Amino acid sequence: MRLPGIGLAAFVIGLVATHFIVLNALPGRIMSKARERIVASGAPVHEWRMTPRVTPQTQTIVRPSPDLAYAICLIDTSNGPVVLSVPTWPEYGSLSIFDASTDNVYAGSLDSRLPDAPQLRTVVVTSTAMQTFGPRVDVSSVVALKNPRALALIRRLAPSQGLYDTAAGLLPESRCEPLL
Amino acid sequence: MRIVSALLGLVLGAACGLAAALAAAGIVGPGVRLGGGIDVDGWTSDWTIGSAAANPWTRARIARHGLLALTREEAVYFTRNTDDAGDRFSEACTYQVSGGKMPGQWWSVTVYDASSFLPGNTDNALSFDLTDAAAAGDAGTWTFTVSAAPAEGDWVSSNAAGAFDMTLRIYKPTPDLIAAPTAALTPPRVDKIACKDAI
Repeated sequence: MRLPGIGLAAFVIGLVATHFIVLNALPGRIMSKARERIVASGAPVHEWRMTPRVTPQTQTIVRPSPDLAYAICLIDTSNGPVVLSVPTWPEYGSLSIFDASTDNVYAGSLDSRLPDAPQLRTVVVTSTAMQTFGPRVDVSSVVALKNPRALALIRRLAPSQGLYDTAAGLLPESRCEPLL
Repeated sequence: MRIVSALLGLVLGAACGLAAALAAAGIVGPGVRLGGGIDVDGWTSDWTIGSAAANPWTRARIARHGLLALTREEAVYFTRNTDDAGDRFSEACTYQVSGGKMPGQWWSVTVYDASSFLPGNTDNALSFDLTDAAAAGDAGTWTFTVSAAPAEGDWVSSNAAGAFDMTLRIYKPTPDLIAAPTAALTPPRVDKIACKDAI
């Protein structure tokens, strides 16, 4: 092969390989950074924590909705499954789980007005490496993760301080803990 | 000489590949939409947001500009950065946003700056939603103003937003919206009223 041909072939290989390596690594890296920021803010693993009411001054993650009250729980299934249990809400609300590569692997409604809405939305999060888990619990879903780290998020429609406070008052009734 | 040529090509290619990936993800610039796009009268979305089906470009762009976005069964997100005349949204201008019933359980329209954060003001007027529309008297026909200075009636502040965009969130979208967005959604109109330098 002539010199220009070799250089051009190397250029294309370098371009395509680097492009896709970086592109595929970015979501995990961004999620990891977000998790680091949440940990740095004092949020422990396996504990629901309200995020401050969304304002330009309190926002830490892109495109937050100022109409919603958020609560976050960091999940790590390295040592076994984790159970999430969250009370419903008389307006729009959801419980969602995001894996380490940013995929929304679970979303369940918390809207108590919907037909057959349970009082508590209960989900067990586990690793795909684990085929079974111990005690039987009444779960809505079992979510299997490829990577043990994930992030659970509660969204509740709460456009006023009063509703935000009411949403925060539900946290003691909410669980995010290892399934023993 | 061949080794030098190959190494040079590899390094240059890697640099271009890195730049292209960062640009596509919106780490540098607004990001690039490749495939899967939905456009309803200037409001754009992507039904693969949040899902494993998203292509690597969409996944990276959403991680940068819409982290923790829900899948379409729970919520859909439409964004636009131009008015109905096709001009880029600017903090220097005043806009009237008007619309009607949205095909979902609850909806909101929020202003974000070019870095995808809420504009850095203390106006406490960050969004307009179904609750506001109902409070104004008719959730089926509503209007609000977007401007940097307070306006009469319902108002969303673009103060400190620069060249901003708006995101329309529709939570619990109807099956019709997911199946045929252009037929099911009549999106909000965004009309430019005036700009500071034109007054």
